[in-house]
Amino acid sequence: MSKNAQMVLHHKKKRPFNAVSVPAEVVINTIMTLFCATCIIPFIFVVIISFTSEESIRKIGYSFTPLSWGTEAYAYVMKLGDQLWISYFNSFFTTIVGTGLSVLICILYSYALFRRDFKFRSFFSFFSFFTMLFGGGLVPTYMVCKQMLGLSDNYAALIVPLLVNPFNIIVMRTFFQSSVPEELIEAAAIDGSGEYNTLFKIIIPIAKPGIATIALLNALAYWNEWFVALLYVRERAKIPLQYLLMQMQRNVEYLAKNSANMGADAAAAASSLPTQSLRMAMVVLIVIPIAFAYPFFQRYIIAGLTIGSVKG
Amino acid sequence: MSGVSVAKKAHTTVSARRKKTFMLLTMVAPGAIWLILLRYLPMFGIVMAFQDYKIYTKAPSLVNNILNSKFVGFKNFKFLFATKDSWIMIRNTLAYNAVFIVLGLLISVTFAILLNEVTKKFVAKTYQTLMFFPYFLSWVVASYFLQAFLDPTSGLLVHAMADWGMKPIDFYNTTGPWPYILTIAYIWKNTGYSVVLYLAAITGIDATQYEAASIDGASKLQQVFYVTLPHLKTMIIILFILAVGKIFNADFGLFYQVPMSSGPIMSVTQVIDTYVYRAMIATQNYSMTTAAGLLQNVVGFVCIMIANGIVNKFDKDSSLF
Amino acid sequence: MKKKLLSIVLSIAVTATMLVGCGSTTTETATDATEATETAEEATDAEETAEAPAEEAALDISEPVTLKWYLHGSTVNDDMAVMEKVNEYLGEKLNVTLEPIWGTWGDFDEGSTLAINGGDDVDIYFTCSWSANEYNAFAKKGAWVRLDNPENNLLEKYGSDIWNTLPEVLKAGAQIEGSDGYGVYALPGYKDFGTQNCWDINVTLLEECGYTLDDIRNTDYYGFGDILKKAKELKGNDFYPLLVEGLVLERMVDNSIIVNGDSGSLNVLSYYIDPTDVSKDIGSKVVNKYATEEFKKFAEKTREYYEAGYIDPGLANKQTANDLRTSKQLNADYLIGTQSYALGYEVQTSAERGIEVAYVPCTPPYVDKTSTQGAMMAISTASKNPERAMAFLNLLNTDPYLMTLLEYGVEGVHYNLNDDGLVVFTDEHDNYQPWRNGMGNVTILPPQEGEGKDFFTKTFIPYYDSAKAIPAFGYQFDPTNVETELAALANVGEEYALALCVGSIDPATALPEFLDKLEAAGMSKVVDEANAQLDAYFANEQ
Repeated sequence: MSKNAQMVLHHKKKRPFNAVSVPAEVVINTIMTLFCATCIIPFIFVVIISFTSEESIRKIGYSFTPLSWGTEAYAYVMKLGDQLWISYFNSFFTTIVGTGLSVLICILYSYALFRRDFKFRSFFSFFSFFTMLFGGGLVPTYMVCKQMLGLSDNYAALIVPLLVNPFNIIVMRTFFQSSVPEELIEAAAIDGSGEYNTLFKIIIPIAKPGIATIALLNALAYWNEWFVALLYVRERAKIPLQYLLMQMQRNVEYLAKNSANMGADAAAAASSLPTQSLRMAMVVLIVIPIAFAYPFFQRYIIAGLTIGSVKG
Repeated sequence: MSGVSVAKKAHTTVSARRKKTFMLLTMVAPGAIWLILLRYLPMFGIVMAFQDYKIYTKAPSLVNNILNSKFVGFKNFKFLFATKDSWIMIRNTLAYNAVFIVLGLLISVTFAILLNEVTKKFVAKTYQTLMFFPYFLSWVVASYFLQAFLDPTSGLLVHAMADWGMKPIDFYNTTGPWPYILTIAYIWKNTGYSVVLYLAAITGIDATQYEAASIDGASKLQQVFYVTLPHLKTMIIILFILAVGKIFNADFGLFYQVPMSSGPIMSVTQVIDTYVYRAMIATQNYSMTTAAGLLQNVVGFVCIMIANGIVNKFDKDSSLF
Repeated sequence: MKKKLLSIVLSIAVTATMLVGCGSTTTETATDATEATETAEEATDAEETAEAPAEEAALDISEPVTLKWYLHGSTVNDDMAVMEKVNEYLGEKLNVTLEPIWGTWGDFDEGSTLAINGGDDVDIYFTCSWSANEYNAFAKKGAWVRLDNPENNLLEKYGSDIWNTLPEVLKAGAQIEGSDGYGVYALPGYKDFGTQNCWDINVTLLEECGYTLDDIRNTDYYGFGDILKKAKELKGNDFYPLLVEGLVLERMVDNSIIVNGDSGSLNVLSYYIDPTDVSKDIGSKVVNKYATEEFKKFAEKTREYYEAGYIDPGLANKQTANDLRTSKQLNADYLIGTQSYALGYEVQTSAERGIEVAYVPCTPPYVDKTSTQGAMMAISTASKNPERAMAFLNLLNTDPYLMTLLEYGVEGVHYNLNDDGLVVFTDEHDNYQPWRNGMGNVTILPPQEGEGKDFFTKTFIPYYDSAKAIPAFGYQFDPTNVETELAALANVGEEYALALCVGSIDPATALPEFLDKLEAAGMSKVVDEANAQLDAYFANEQ
């Protein structure tokens, strides 16, 4: 019987087998609701501020009930015109390609580490873990990426620097350890299945929740990344959304702080900017797309939840 | 079980074993190459921590600059210990991290287990999505949100306190509340992230184990202790070890942005990272930052080796390497 | 494991050095070649017959050259139209193709310092006293070519046109101690270079309170009490009449100035000037200003004003004080403010705020070394064509066509000239907006609408000509020997300085604490070092 069909069945019946008692579930729901409220209210607040007129912010500060509404911040962002959509595209493109590649590399690497019969297991474990702690720092990394690898003004510059994350490798290996029985691999080997075949046909379907989690973390990292763009991308046609907006905000903030050094025209420019609502509008513009993508990953993480006997 | 696999291995020929090792090496290759290029290669820059870094004017390039800069020993580390306050920032860094590791672990494991017990998947999904939202907000944005409550003139909380007849606290000038505020802020922002990791690990548990336990008459709580937690053990230990490696590092945004970089509360908000940042603005000395980072990582490395060593003794499967 | 680890690290380090080493050999040889010939002429073509080094050194432009130019503060989305014209012109004049890197306010600091430290092939950098690639510090590090190097005096050979038209004080301000001895390491931009701190007065409200500007002029900070009280009574409890930037306020009241070279560490060092005659030698030494009687008096008065509700507590919040100040200014929600003045502020701010704004200066405009280094162009030591770079800077600063083109864009596209010959921007201007003060000599530009026809000749130049240099003008603090102490001091400063200067903490308890911690962090050592350097400077002057 398929999982979905069973779920439907259970919905029609009363409580699933092996579920917690009703009072316990009420308590759980109360705790969760409270915590979730503290998580989402700030975001609602951010949305409200982003639609607050700058005048209202100047008069009464941030408030859940502003004096007047306004869209100055969004209007200011819209002045970017086509650039905004180009950057949205760049962000989507690098996030999708980057996530795909980095998940693949991560799975391959961590699967080998998961295999206890891999001769160089502890060497490569250490090899990746060591880089979590030690790195050359910003300047040498910058030099290697830009001057040696040519990561400058191209999509590779946005994708390559985030491709491998030792943390994800270790976490993925742990997922394999806790969800894949080793007998399975041995059995597959006896059946004459090649290493890659075993991994892709047998292991990956089992490890879906873990892979979805790693994919989610990678997608978030790519989507939120702006510093890499600051370092390696000057060409406007290549800059991602996060950096486009970050650049705008940093400009505004820099102007507000240092206008004394820059003469009258810069000071005038500084005082006319929607500094405060802009900051919030940017959060909204960045979070909305990734928040919509979230359920896609979540499907795999939550769907497997072991509620009672759902998994037959 | 291991006896069986040893017996099986005896059957495999040497060439098959070689082939297997080769295949696994090809799997590791892309990641390893990346690590060599983007992580190990730049490591030569670490020597800058021991140098008075200067640009080699005749042919400026990073390598030439490093090769021609003077070595100054541990001079670049001195600024970390230059004041009587040094121990305060080290104490703060260690104490906050200890609290964060323990509380963070307890709360996110508990939440993951609780989420697992919510019978309606739609509801569980909603909770889990909402929990993730703080992760999207930068510390800067979070700090403005907090300020809306704590601001001495227009803060909502400050007004409320006045309305209740309490003496309003001047939060940004009072040290007392900040350890709590910072801890809550940390939990608030990071719980969603680690809950996902634990949740995915729980999802990987075979449902039949719960059924078996249930049929044997195990209560829900017993199931948690005898089925769920043992399965989460590896994940908990791994995340714990990794967190220990960052014991000397602090989340800069949390300690700099959230307290609005306010001076009078620095005795409870100053951590190594904020100290280095402030020093950096004053001196623009790149070698000093490199030195500070190196020190943090060496301490973290030692801690990880110790933690991993202990784990290795008791439970080899859960150790990092 | 340890052995393994060590061998990995070593082998990788070796490969790294080899790889990178190989990569850079080519550049090295290229640069060596440049060096060998650079005393005489342009180096690129070895086939060229060697010319005798001539005094007037005609620039060899036979080889085409690309110059990369890193700018600050730009808002440039589309430079195609402009660069096409620029390069057409430059190609003719200097056989140069210009490739600007439009640094923005937000990314210049990281971008430029990384490019310099990492050895990117940029030819010309914007630099100044307040950006992260600070002029003095990076000159010492060896980032800039010394322009008046006696062996190859680029400035004399290829930059004399602009150098000879710059005001003396700008030229003197550019002279610093760098990697190649004492000399000029960047070409200063001719823009507003004086400093004048003013009380920013909401005249409309002041008159409502029954006072006039003369009442402000005839008293000082310590005498503001009555006026502030009146305003507070008039406007109610939520009104905070004194709108200050704490650290600026302190400088205005105590007549202390920033010591050049100490800009990052919250100005723990101070040097004092005479407010009536800024160039008069009052025998000031560099001191720890927080330990002075004047500071104590100031902090106590400020605390008094703070407790009386004259200063908004939000101004003590470093992160949001700027936002708050801007909001309050635009709402005209203040009586007396602090402002570092620039020409044209009265008109601009009165219009913005819908009130009459007046600026009451605390001192006549003065020039210190920090303010003369407000915007400069330095040639990078990584440049392969320093001669051409210098020639370009010379042309840029003396050729109104080129300067106007680069600053304002293409006439008819980005701007139009009105009947008076003043610049009126079009909508296209939004896509091409370099920072006007960030390129160089602004006085050869046509003025903008609103500035008036003779803005530069009648207003700008005379105002800055009137600015006098402070007594120890040429003095520049070299922090090299006390960086450890400065790092610690900066942290102590962060803890107390702003709060004391705004009055949000009580100086009776906080000031002694502050002084103790400063001492513990090595304040005396820094002050002694600075004074030793100051003495050496004066000894040199005589």
